[in-house]
Amino acid sequence: MTSKPFHDLSKAYRMELAHAYTTDLKVWDLPVRIMHWILAIAIGVCWWTGANHQLEYHFYSGYVILWTVLMRLYWGLVGSSTARFSNFVRGPKAIVNYASALHRRDTPPSHGHNALGAIAIIIMLGLVLTVVILGLFSVDVDGFYSGALSSYVTFEQGRHLAHLHQKWLDVLLWVIALHIAAVFFYFIYKQQNLVGPMLSGKRPGDGGEAEMKIAPLSRFAIGGVIAAALVWAVSNGFYF
Amino acid sequence: MSSSGFRIAVAAVCAGFSLWAMEAAAGPPEVAQVKSRQDKFRDMGGALKAIVDELRKQTVDWDNIVAPNAQTIKDRSGYLINWFPKGTGPEGGVKTHALPAIWQTNDDFVRLGKTAEAEAVKLNQAALGKDRNALRAQAEAMSKACKACHDSYRSPERDNDE
Repeated sequence: MTSKPFHDLSKAYRMELAHAYTTDLKVWDLPVRIMHWILAIAIGVCWWTGANHQLEYHFYSGYVILWTVLMRLYWGLVGSSTARFSNFVRGPKAIVNYASALHRRDTPPSHGHNALGAIAIIIMLGLVLTVVILGLFSVDVDGFYSGALSSYVTFEQGRHLAHLHQKWLDVLLWVIALHIAAVFFYFIYKQQNLVGPMLSGKRPGDGGEAEMKIAPLSRFAIGGVIAAALVWAVSNGFYF
Repeated sequence: MSSSGFRIAVAAVCAGFSLWAMEAAAGPPEVAQVKSRQDKFRDMGGALKAIVDELRKQTVDWDNIVAPNAQTIKDRSGYLINWFPKGTGPEGGVKTHALPAIWQTNDDFVRLGKTAEAEAVKLNQAALGKDRNALRAQAEAMSKACKACHDSYRSPERDNDE
């Protein structure tokens, strides 16, 4: 593989590169894929149950989201190479370079999150965590169905936080819509399938590209148990 | 200013005046009534929350937390259908979540209000009985009685509770 930026490559070379995609490269490990789809489903469930006042199930799906976000943050520090923040969060120059070539159809796929996708991931994780934390302190208008940590705030404070919970959810839903729109953009305009790799873990590539470094599943399991214990403690309002 | 611009300006002034007039149409008694009932409902919500908060803990403070808050809900609920005299809905320009349906289908509203009152009496009995499971079940029944009324007669606006 050349070390040149992709926008410097000649058209002939890019065509050659496209034809050279004869190998399936591992790009996402199992934990990243599981966390991605759990998060997608759980946010959908949380949204529906919240909108339809099925608050008991809303809480359960909220705990699943909290566990998943905690695990994604943990995996961003100690997980496989493409999951690590240090590998996919890039500086302003790389982001501008990537964005300036976004209109081109013939760019090779990124190995992991691209520079713009990385921003979306960070924003989405931050927003999901914000919405979950606000939800934990929220109080329903009747005062019965309240977040697990709502006993640490007054009724009025809890109502205010419930409104913020809804407002920030709206922002999150817009960012998710943008994320889905970007996936369609890559599929239709750039002819890069981003959903397939998030299901199979593999993307087309050539043998010369560096493989990802896979972290052991035992490391994920250890973090998963600790995160589950923390979520359990939160769900009990830290009353033991 | 062109004639069309002038007409738009006049229309804007008229619209602004109409809004001000609507706001002014709800005189101080109606505004005070709405504010008063919002405060009382807030007290009831806070009281139910205090009971639920207590149920989360290992040890329930029946005498200092549960009993007085259950009493507040019982006392307030006995009067709540009287907190909605005609003229205190949104039609008068008062900022309220109360829907006009309260006065349009008043029999149903009163029925739900009396159901809430009955559940509040049971809640108070459960509080005095000092049985955690019974109190939890009755707090949920109380919440359902509140929700039944809110579903039909409270607007689901999301900005705030006022």
